[in-house]
Amino acid sequence: MQQTIVERIDRVAEDVVSLTLRGATGPLAPWEPGAHIDLALPNWLTRQYSLCGDPADRECYRIAARYEPLSRGGSEYLHRFLRRGRTLDVSLPRNHFPLAPAPRYLFLAGGIGITPILPMLRAAVAAEIPASLVYVGQTLATMPFADELRSSHGDRVRIVATRQQGRPDLADLASTLDPATVVYCCGPASMLAAAQAAFPAERLHTERFHPAVRSFAPDTPFEAVCARSAQTIQVPADESLLEALIHAGHPVASGCREGVCGSCELTVVAGEPEHRDDIGAPAGRMYACVSRALSPRLVLDL
Amino acid sequence: MSALPTHRRRPTPEGVFVTHTSTRPRRLSPAEVRARLGEPEAMIEAKIIDHIDEHFRRFIAHSPFLALATADAAGRADCSPRGDYPGFVKVLDERTLAIPDRPGNKIADSFRNLAENDGIGLLFLIPGMRETLRVNGRAYPTDEPDVLARMRIETKQPELALVVDVAEAYFHCGRALVRSRLWDPASHALADELPSAGEMAAAQLGPGIDPAAMNRGLEDAYRKLY
Repeated sequence: MQQTIVERIDRVAEDVVSLTLRGATGPLAPWEPGAHIDLALPNWLTRQYSLCGDPADRECYRIAARYEPLSRGGSEYLHRFLRRGRTLDVSLPRNHFPLAPAPRYLFLAGGIGITPILPMLRAAVAAEIPASLVYVGQTLATMPFADELRSSHGDRVRIVATRQQGRPDLADLASTLDPATVVYCCGPASMLAAAQAAFPAERLHTERFHPAVRSFAPDTPFEAVCARSAQTIQVPADESLLEALIHAGHPVASGCREGVCGSCELTVVAGEPEHRDDIGAPAGRMYACVSRALSPRLVLDL
Repeated sequence: MSALPTHRRRPTPEGVFVTHTSTRPRRLSPAEVRARLGEPEAMIEAKIIDHIDEHFRRFIAHSPFLALATADAAGRADCSPRGDYPGFVKVLDERTLAIPDRPGNKIADSFRNLAENDGIGLLFLIPGMRETLRVNGRAYPTDEPDVLARMRIETKQPELALVVDVAEAYFHCGRALVRSRLWDPASHALADELPSAGEMAAAQLGPGIDPAAMNRGLEDAYRKLY
């Protein structure tokens, strides 16, 4: 955890605020484009936000959040109740959406999905790698950072307001693309689906804000063996692995508890996890908040 | 614990046990009450408003606990606790609140009462804050998806919520909380003077109930909050 102070709250578009969080005790942990942080809000909720400022600025983090009409209390808190000067705990940055080296980039952003893309585009341009951005939103007024993008990056940026222009044809975009181009897409589920249909999977990287809607086999009980503490924990069908571990006294970190943020990553020593996260767990890892077991027992490095 | 000799317990015609003292304390008329209390200051009545303003909205957004009072058509009253993360009560608009119905004892006294008599009284508390917020109005149950979606915790969404149409809202001054030292950590020592919840429940339920098993059952229930 790092302590920050809310230095600025700026309205950057209709229903979008940007927060500038200054490190309370000195420089903040470094980060790369695509990274996000967990923000611990005063109402006990923890929410994840992509860092959209400048990675070279070690004094401050910048995030932006859209107000969600069906807010459970996260975006509503940022928009209505958070006050300047308040101290907020943030996690160390994590990156599930890193910018891999490529000869050219195409960035696709939908609405608030622009946040991780902003530092990516800046980094690509700074490295003199050919890059372009298609930034899609309902109307210009709802699209944060549109002016900033146009003034800094000019022709590299195409802004599409769907109310007037309709949705861009991604298949058309794909057909004219240099085959070496790597695509990074962050936006609503409809945009991710369109991108997945249009671009080859090996050259498309996506990030979603909400877990994908999927269905799983019914939850069944299993056994979790904590190898280091030689403890065996029964995980009942109606409890998550994360809950069972916490109740058994293992202080596993957690954030979104929806398989999106990656805070609760565990190392699996033996057994076969049933991955239910949206991150794509690397081999030998699992996310305890949503994932369960295909084998009757899992051995964990705990 | 045995009842005091001046008390007798008898079932009412509805089967509810009520304790009466044999020498009943004197009952005052409304006029006698008013004569003893004096008239309220005009300012106190003026601060009662008919909606949730920005200050009340902020109060509700930081309140993790409320007491909810209802009564049935015959006037039988009930008050029950509701608690969750701060802001668990959603302000749908300045005249409408929604309170999630989290898993509880399934007795559903409040819902039964509201079906007969939709009047409701709420008292919101914020730890550390002496003033409380009172909201009175009328309420009904709902399963409206957009309301329940705002109450989801992890994957668990409540089955029901109560919609409250606000008629009155006002701050209540903090004297009761100051006198009660409710937020003073030293007051926590009071809880040490009680038997465990399991011991009390076992005593009430009669022989054959193991207090330790009751306590374990409660601890298990406290693990599964949603």
